[in-house]
Amino acid sequence: MLKNKLAKKFLVLSLLYLSFVFLSPAVLAQANILNVYVWTAYLPQDVVKQFRKETGIRVNISEYDSNETMYAKIKASPDAGYDIIFPSNYFIHRMRKQNMLHVIDKDKLPNLQYINPNLLRKPFDPNNEFSIPYLCSITGIVVNTDYLDSKNITSWQDLWQERFHDKLLVLDDMREVFSIALLTLGYSINDTNPDHIKEAYLKLKTLLPNVKIFNSDVEQNIYIDEDAIVGMGWNGDINLSLAENPKLKFIYPKEGFVMSIDCLAITKNAPHLENAYKFINFLMRPDIAKKISQEIGYPSPNLAAIKLLPKEMQDNPLLNPSSELLKRGQLQDATDEVLPLYEKYWEKLKIGE
Amino acid sequence: MKLNRLIKYSYPAFVYLFLYFPILIIVVFSFNDTSRSLVWKGFTTQWYTELFRDTNLLSVTGHSLIIGVLAATIATAIGTIAAVSLFRYRFWGKKLLHGLLFVMIVTPEIVMGIALLLLYSALDLPLGFWSLLLAHITLCIPFVTITVYSRITTLDKAIFEAARDLGATDFTIFSKIIIPLLSPSIIAGWLLSFTLSLDDVITSYFVSGPSFSILPLKVYAMVRLGIKPEINALCTLLLILTLLIVISAQFALYKNSGKKHAKK
Repeated sequence: MLKNKLAKKFLVLSLLYLSFVFLSPAVLAQANILNVYVWTAYLPQDVVKQFRKETGIRVNISEYDSNETMYAKIKASPDAGYDIIFPSNYFIHRMRKQNMLHVIDKDKLPNLQYINPNLLRKPFDPNNEFSIPYLCSITGIVVNTDYLDSKNITSWQDLWQERFHDKLLVLDDMREVFSIALLTLGYSINDTNPDHIKEAYLKLKTLLPNVKIFNSDVEQNIYIDEDAIVGMGWNGDINLSLAENPKLKFIYPKEGFVMSIDCLAITKNAPHLENAYKFINFLMRPDIAKKISQEIGYPSPNLAAIKLLPKEMQDNPLLNPSSELLKRGQLQDATDEVLPLYEKYWEKLKIGE
Repeated sequence: MKLNRLIKYSYPAFVYLFLYFPILIIVVFSFNDTSRSLVWKGFTTQWYTELFRDTNLLSVTGHSLIIGVLAATIATAIGTIAAVSLFRYRFWGKKLLHGLLFVMIVTPEIVMGIALLLLYSALDLPLGFWSLLLAHITLCIPFVTITVYSRITTLDKAIFEAARDLGATDFTIFSKIIIPLLSPSIIAGWLLSFTLSLDDVITSYFVSGPSFSILPLKVYAMVRLGIKPEINALCTLLLILTLLIVISAQFALYKNSGKKHAKK
């Protein structure tokens, strides 16, 4: 018994000792590293490798699957040591309000000049004090031209056509789905008027007979495998899916659409500030931004990078939407006050009530 | 008669189908020649080459294996000692300790994760390798203890008394009698711990830090955003690895018991 006790004590003590000696925050902070917390497969490995080659900074990558996952992690352990995160616009708004982000010193980011001014100074961060656009995503209509003529489909309203009975893929995302109803009714996607939201719910109820599946996890697979031939989709996903199924067509709906800007931000307690600035500036360098947009498939906010793209990609509205198109895009706000109402109606929709 | 035979064979067939069919699908699809489709499009080994080019995925897998082996080994050592002391010695709070082990097993992992996170931040332990290792050891100990304890209760206490009569010290009894007799359950406990550590998402999510990411977290995030065939390839390789471990463990046990019989 004595021996066991001693052995246990020894083990625990030695572990504690090691942890304090080798991994104290002070030691961690000195190392030439950078901790990046990023969406899965949203940062090409070549880019990280090149950054290391040019600067000697080692980048630790951790990945998340949703804004919520990232937010919870940073909220639960603000001192965990993450330097750079990639929140979407409405999460920038929320995290900024909760004092979770570091104020960006723009003097350290000369490459900011390349960013499309149309995508800066948006309401979620009016002076871009906390965020720099990384990639844009747009929700539109996907049509498989093998089965359907895409000419008659130009607006969200067209999804209500009777011929689409039990055919649509609808994203399993509350805000996205309500947005299409609000847009067809002529309201803003950020409308907080309860009557309008109810109207949107009633409108969506009439869409239910057309819905084949709610899915936002493997939407690409479903379109590629033609399990659904029409519905909602994200431009970047469809852009990459074209390689596997060239019959897919992405349509920017007439009424407007949800646009989201995934941003770069520095956490409040980032331990490697200098490296973080170097990294953000590096990602905004035109040749790097071009590589990212090409590989990830989403439009780059970097004007100089777009000019570097091959001609056919510059003409591809999925990768390079024109500024007129971008003007029709609406950014989601964090409309926290009406979320419970949304959720109530969303549940009713999902159970088909 | 015929019906009897049918039932006799169909019953295990269904069990095996139920257990192994999903695993078989992942193996088959790791050779599917398409990056985003779930329909069979032809045979390729491309995903295996790509897997070995994906340095991030490989390093994360390495991390997981290191944590798994260390956590399983340490938890097995502590758990075995705990089981032996529960069985052999009488001490204050013994029943309570025994009961608490079960509580640990049924405690929802999310509670465990948050509790450990709070503890680590109170102790100023940075999140990373050590926090993960400690958390995984904590997770595994009760499983090892219960596995070993259930075996140890089948042992005859008279053996220890006989050994004592013949002049064996506590240490000799422990190393020459208890450990060999318990070895199947110790190995089972180790394997169980290794698997637990290798696929733990919830607790790991809370206690992992930026400098040390592990496989289950990465796989979980990847699957949420569309399954890449690389993951299927990786799962297939892990499956082969675990099979090898289990087979070699079985083989070692078999050899062990063979020797004993020979001695008799």
